[in-house]
Amino acid sequence: MLYSVRSKLIASLLGVALLVGSVSLFTGVHLLKTHVIDEATNRVRLDLNTALEMYQARIKNMRTALSITTLGSGFMDALANRNQSDLVYRLGRMAHHAELDFAGIVTGDGQVLCRIGPHAMMSAAAVDNPIWKLALERKAPVDGTVVLTREMLVAEDPELAERARIPLRARAESTQAAGDDEISGLALAAGIPVFKDNAVLGVLYGGKLLNRDDTLVDTVRDTVFLGETYKGHNIGTATIFLNDLRIATNVLTPDGKRAIGTRVSTEVGNTVLTKGQPWTGRAFVVSDWYIAAYTPLEDIFGRRVGMLYVGVVEEKYSNIQSQALTVFILITAAGMLLAVGFGFLLANLIMGPVHRLIKASRQVSEGSLHPDIGPIQKGEFGRLQKTFAEMVEAMGRRRAASESKIIQSEKQASVGRLAAGVAHEINNPLTGVLTYTHMLLRRKDIDAEMRNDLETIAAATERVRKIVKGLLDFSRQTKLDPEPTDVNRLIGGTVALLENQALVKGVAIKFIEGEKLPLVILDRSQMQSVLMNLIINALDATQPGGSIKIYSASGLSGNGASQKGVEITVADTGSGIHPEDMDKLFDPFFTTKAVGQGTGLGLSVSQGIVQRHGGHIRVQSELGKGTRFFVWLPIEKQAGSYEDTRG
Amino acid sequence: MKILVVDDEGIVLDSCRRILASEGLEVIMAGSVDEALKILEQHPRPLPLLLMDVKMPVHDGMYLMQQIKEKGLEIKMIVMSGYPTDETIARAAKLGAATFIAKPFTPEELLEKVLSVARKGDSHE
Ligand SMILES: Nc1ncnc2c1ncn2[C@@H]1O[C@H](COP(=O)(O)OP(=O)(O)OP(=O)(O)O)[C@@H](O)[C@H]1O
Ligand SMILES: [Mg+2]
Repeated sequence: MLYSVRSKLIASLLGVALLVGSVSLFTGVHLLKTHVIDEATNRVRLDLNTALEMYQARIKNMRTALSITTLGSGFMDALANRNQSDLVYRLGRMAHHAELDFAGIVTGDGQVLCRIGPHAMMSAAAVDNPIWKLALERKAPVDGTVVLTREMLVAEDPELAERARIPLRARAESTQAAGDDEISGLALAAGIPVFKDNAVLGVLYGGKLLNRDDTLVDTVRDTVFLGETYKGHNIGTATIFLNDLRIATNVLTPDGKRAIGTRVSTEVGNTVLTKGQPWTGRAFVVSDWYIAAYTPLEDIFGRRVGMLYVGVVEEKYSNIQSQALTVFILITAAGMLLAVGFGFLLANLIMGPVHRLIKASRQVSEGSLHPDIGPIQKGEFGRLQKTFAEMVEAMGRRRAASESKIIQSEKQASVGRLAAGVAHEINNPLTGVLTYTHMLLRRKDIDAEMRNDLETIAAATERVRKIVKGLLDFSRQTKLDPEPTDVNRLIGGTVALLENQALVKGVAIKFIEGEKLPLVILDRSQMQSVLMNLIINALDATQPGGSIKIYSASGLSGNGASQKGVEITVADTGSGIHPEDMDKLFDPFFTTKAVGQGTGLGLSVSQGIVQRHGGHIRVQSELGKGTRFFVWLPIEKQAGSYEDTRG
Repeated sequence: MKILVVDDEGIVLDSCRRILASEGLEVIMAGSVDEALKILEQHPRPLPLLLMDVKMPVHDGMYLMQQIKEKGLEIKMIVMSGYPTDETIARAAKLGAATFIAKPFTPEELLEKVLSVARKGDSHE
């Protein structure tokens, strides 16, 4: 079964399906991986740029708001006059509009004149805010990111300091303890110096604390990623780091809280904060894999003080991949299923008729000559069926032929054995009968009547002797004594022996010699007895006035074999043979002649002789018109070798 | 002229005796090969002619011819058989048979064979 055409067919189709399936699977997955992930990485990189733009825009906006305030009518006067209440009012309005967490005015010599918040008018302990300090130093507007210490924050507003405090959470991969709370703040700030007569009259400053401020990161998320969600979560996330600590983020911890107070991985921290290079790639952020991009944030002094991050949940993309993978696998599986089904169908289509033929051959080998080969199909298979049918038919014909041959030779053999035994036993007493009869006939003292009776005995005994001799001739499988023979001479001699007999009967006998006949190697005396019998048979069947013609000619054997040979024809215009007798002619003892006239052994013996020469005898007869016997003898080989030795 | 006839069938022996005697031959008869060998041994003068059957019980004609050949006896042999096959004839010829005659035969046929063999011998001597 394993080696059946069906399983081979299915296996090969399956193989093809598997190959095609797996190749497309692998290339597909590979393409997806590189394309989708690359695409996502690129997109995240661009998104980070956008986020950075937004970050910068915030700073610029802040600076613009401050600048506009310094240019407002009466601001100069209020500052010059140090009209604190007016200035506080103006600061308050500005801070409200620009959503500032802190703002204040510093005099040209570095004294805080006023600020928003609880310490509006009192000048607190000398805590310098780097933003106005730099603006004073540079005598130029300053804006950017600043790190504010707890003291600075307290000075601005104790509430701010409180908001800035971020309790540290343990980092999953970190072996370090959580450590102390972060108490510094990261802020966007700007400081605008106000000049009068080329001297700095003061500095207007303001800023926004980024610690725990979700607005920037959420805006980034909502504008850059358009609030796209995956499985109920935003796929896009953004984070602002103070150093490696998340201070504002919309990355969520597994319990759904913002992951503030967690640290970035050491690898990212090293690249971005220590080396100052942007970082993109697959990153494990808090509790999920993200396709992430980080960029360092520098403060107004050019120090790297933090990072900005955006990232998209990788799962969305890997899910696309696994979905595609599933689809590919399904297609492959379907292909294989189809291959199996197709293979079965195809195998049935091909093997159905083959099985039928196999069954038919089995029937033939079991003896049937009419196997069921089914309807003849078109194409090669039909040809196979036809050839098979022809073969079976030919077998049938051959079998019939060989069966009749076997029957014939078995008949001859059994008759032969019987004849041999009988002949031997009969011949001894027959010797006695013949001898005594003839001895009696020699005597002179017998009367005519007795002589007559004795002569009858002698004649009858002679007949018995002839019958026994015929039997012996028939049974004797005498070896051939072949010699190269001119067939025409042999026939001529035989005809001459019988001419007298024909003349007496009034039957014309004529031999028409074939020309240029090859010599045939044959047993002359045996072949002569064959011819004698044929001609005597013809004579017996032909009425006075009829004729017998004998022909010789070169001829092929017929029977499909087409061997070269010589054909002798004995044709008469006699009685013809009854169709029902045709297949009995060659049976031993078959005769239609009167008792004592024929033994019925002539044709049987003749056939044996001709067959031993490798030839055959055929008959054609028409009742009332005549009969033709054809004796065909082969010349090939024997004749050839004879010619060789002669030449 | 003497002739030894060997056959297991009495009727054949008698037939041969009557035919041959009618032509003046002196016929000695033997019913078996052993008897024939005894006669050949005991006979004072070598016998000139022998007519024998082939198929006989105990020892057959072929055996007799072989014995004669081995003993170097000068005797003309005629073989007869009721079932003459080419092989029998060929073997008999090899063993020194002068001629062969098929049973049954008429007196004329037998005499012709025997006398021609006898005459051949005479002309030689
Ligand atoms: N030329 C012929 N025309 C008509 N019938 C023939 C011819 N040749 C043979 N037969 C028929 O075939 C029979 C058998 O022929 P076969 O030669 O075998 O035996 P037979 O002639 O009867 O006897 P036998 O040849 O032994 O003397 C004949 O009895 C005769 O009926
Ligand atoms: Mg005949």
